[in-house]
Amino acid sequence: MATQALAAGDRMIGVWRVVVALSIPLVWEAAGRLSGSPWVSTPGLVGLRLLAWASDGLVFHITTTIEEIATGLALGSTCGVLCGLALGRMRVLAGILRPIIVALYSVPLISLAPLFIMLFGLGQMPQIVLVSIVVFFLIFFNTFAGAESVDEDLIRALHLMGASRTEVFRKVIGPASVVWIIGGLKVALPYALVAATTGEMLGSRGGIGFLLNNAAQQFDMTSLYAALVILMALGILTSGSATRLETWLLRWRHAAQ
Amino acid sequence: MQRNSAAEAATPKIQLLGASRDFEARGRRVQALQPIDLSVKKAEFVALVGPSGCGKSTILNMVAGLLGPTQGRVAYDGQPIAGLNRKVGYMTQKDTLLPWRDVASNIGVALELKCRPMPRADAATKVAQMIELVGLKGFEHHYPSELSGGMRKRVALARTLIYEPETLLMDEPFAALDAQLRLVMLDQLQFLTRLRKMTVLFVTHDLGEAITLADRVVVMSARPGRIRAIRNVPIQRPLDVFKARFSPEFASLHEALWDELKDEVTKGTDL
Repeated sequence: MATQALAAGDRMIGVWRVVVALSIPLVWEAAGRLSGSPWVSTPGLVGLRLLAWASDGLVFHITTTIEEIATGLALGSTCGVLCGLALGRMRVLAGILRPIIVALYSVPLISLAPLFIMLFGLGQMPQIVLVSIVVFFLIFFNTFAGAESVDEDLIRALHLMGASRTEVFRKVIGPASVVWIIGGLKVALPYALVAATTGEMLGSRGGIGFLLNNAAQQFDMTSLYAALVILMALGILTSGSATRLETWLLRWRHAAQ
Repeated sequence: MQRNSAAEAATPKIQLLGASRDFEARGRRVQALQPIDLSVKKAEFVALVGPSGCGKSTILNMVAGLLGPTQGRVAYDGQPIAGLNRKVGYMTQKDTLLPWRDVASNIGVALELKCRPMPRADAATKVAQMIELVGLKGFEHHYPSELSGGMRKRVALARTLIYEPETLLMDEPFAALDAQLRLVMLDQLQFLTRLRKMTVLFVTHDLGEAITLADRVVVMSARPGRIRAIRNVPIQRPLDVFKARFSPEFASLHEALWDELKDEVTKGTDL
């Protein structure tokens, strides 16, 4: 009985979710038609614009942004994990370097975008560097906290069995830090998207940020909304994949539920 | 293998000579263990009993090389212990299972190490045998978070026994088990340690457990810990752990040990 009631409740929530999700574009469409203002545009026009773009370079712009995010994530998270693990387990080095890293992190990272554009030009490089740096810091701080908080009893237990330092690293410190690394990655993904598009908006020849900036400069609201819709889709995609990765990597935690 | 067995028998496996240990707590020095002398022969099973905080775990930590003595000497095979003592298998009070590994790979972790090269297939066979031995068949692929406290203890026991350390240090290994399961585990431990001629230093609160397993029982006093009495267990071995506690020798030894222990327990409680 109870589970049936619960299932019915779930179904009701699902139905309402669809109703609300559908009503947003409907209200928007109605507002656009009634006002007739180009500032409002309508979902219909946005859809048509997306279709028009689809055969005219949309794939290029999307892949440009995704490439920047993927490369930046790979570089930034690798460095972040390695530095975090190393500093988390080396007290002296951490004492020396951590305050310096914190000081560097207190610069609002997005404000570095103009600098990188001047240094690396209008290609993908400034975005890749920006994404790498943003991801590096977020992953570094989390991995550091994780490596520092590894249960010393587990480390001692492995050492007593005869494990070498490398083996303790591979079998205890690494896996124990995964929870923290994933946490950092989940925070870093949306920021990676922000960093990539911001860089593109400030100066580039491609990417969703470029589309967005282009539309804004031409006061073309329909294109602007279309670019935002793509960004939203990318955001949902990245956070969704992060959640999946987390569920898989941390299956030993969910096992008990 | 054919070493001089007389010389080997003469050197105690574990030896504490005037070993004491102080701890610093909130700027105050507290003596946890007064200087004590204790020798454990090869293949001997020694149980340490005493009130909480009498330094039983401190002794194990010193033999494992996790702590050094403040004064005196702790030797293993006649050599002072410097750094971690990798000849011992240490089953601590807290089970230190790796939460991201399932039961089978937790039990097998010691066999993956370079210091113990072993083909994967052999390791898997040993793991399967161990799982059967501790009664965890069917739980191979469960994670520690899915197990009860007693099951986790059994995993920890299997993980320690699987690589056959020559010496076992056990700190209340069966405290979390229910009475019936505890008897089963006592039986298995007795069988294994005799079969493999392991030297065992076993901390417990339970006099019955101590008498059932040990060749000698060491009664410790309340903090600061010292040895109050050492009794040999004159019962014929191997014994039936399920019936031993109803024999007259068992009862009289239990009573004698309890007489030694009871003052210490009451002293321990007002600390």
